[in-house]
Amino acid sequence: MMQLVIFLALAVGLLVLLLMAMRRQPSHAAGSAGELVTAKKTLESLQLGLLPAELVDQIFGERDLAYVAAIGSNEIRSLFLSERKRLALTWIRQVRKQVRALKDFHVSRSRMFTQMSRWRELSLALDFGGLEARCRVLQLLLLWRGAYAAPDFARRTAATAGRVCSTLDQSLAFLTPSIPVSLASESDADGSMV
Amino acid sequence: MAAKAKRPDVLAASADLRKRTLPHTSGSLDRMIYVASMRDYNTGLYVHQGLAARFSPEAASEALADCHWECFQELVSLELKDLTEQLDLYMRATGSAPHDFLRAWKDLEPYRVAVPVGTDSLMAQFLFSNLKIALAILEHQTLRVPEPAPVA
Repeated sequence: MMQLVIFLALAVGLLVLLLMAMRRQPSHAAGSAGELVTAKKTLESLQLGLLPAELVDQIFGERDLAYVAAIGSNEIRSLFLSERKRLALTWIRQVRKQVRALKDFHVSRSRMFTQMSRWRELSLALDFGGLEARCRVLQLLLLWRGAYAAPDFARRTAATAGRVCSTLDQSLAFLTPSIPVSLASESDADGSMV
Repeated sequence: MAAKAKRPDVLAASADLRKRTLPHTSGSLDRMIYVASMRDYNTGLYVHQGLAARFSPEAASEALADCHWECFQELVSLELKDLTEQLDLYMRATGSAPHDFLRAWKDLEPYRVAVPVGTDSLMAQFLFSNLKIALAILEHQTLRVPEPAPVA
């Protein structure tokens, strides 16, 4: 009798496992080329498009605000502040979206390609968590007080995102083909590169 | 991002464009509008008969596309004060009456179709936003300046 109960329990267990396996979404092959390239593009879009200090300075810097204030028109000042608030919110939304996409990619795919120490994984996880919290706080501040609510906080958030990107850039470095020095230095007579 | 190696004929066409045509423009905004006006809306290719005759249609188109991109980058990097000056310069260069120009630019927003293809959306929004404010500033300054009194 006892053997029958154990046998039935095992059978039910196996059946449950089988059902669970069937319910899982079919996944792409780990690290499919499309996903890797998308991740690399997301990283580049962050590093080159959203996080450069010049852009952050243009959105959150106060030189334009001083110029508008000197004009002395309340109408222009309020137009300027509402436009900058809109831009700042667009910027932080895009940064959040891209950071989230990178985090998801790292969790699901990138780790399969890169050997990271546990300490580094933990550090990156903390960075992602901290960055997400910072972005959220900044978004609320911008919504509440406008683009000039916390310019230094915005700059530090961009710097933190830049740091996380550099770490991830290393894990995707295998996607950037390296040109051997000997080949890169060879040029044709007309100056065109090999 | 590494700069893509350019073909020698494209580089020569770019140099020719900079030497012969662009010096006649009044500033970055004027240049961007001018180059954008040479883009065929149906194909996205740039057409410049003189440049195409001297080089090739492909080289001319690529040189103009590069130039368009540079003008856009220049404009995006300007402070609001400098962009307002550029807009003022452009307005004067068109020869239109300031009131007419400002009204047309506010209503039609022609600058929205003057940015290069493939522009980052945030960058484009940044430029549009700054141009909108610059237009308001110019309008304010134009309205503030009294019309010259007729000579008796």
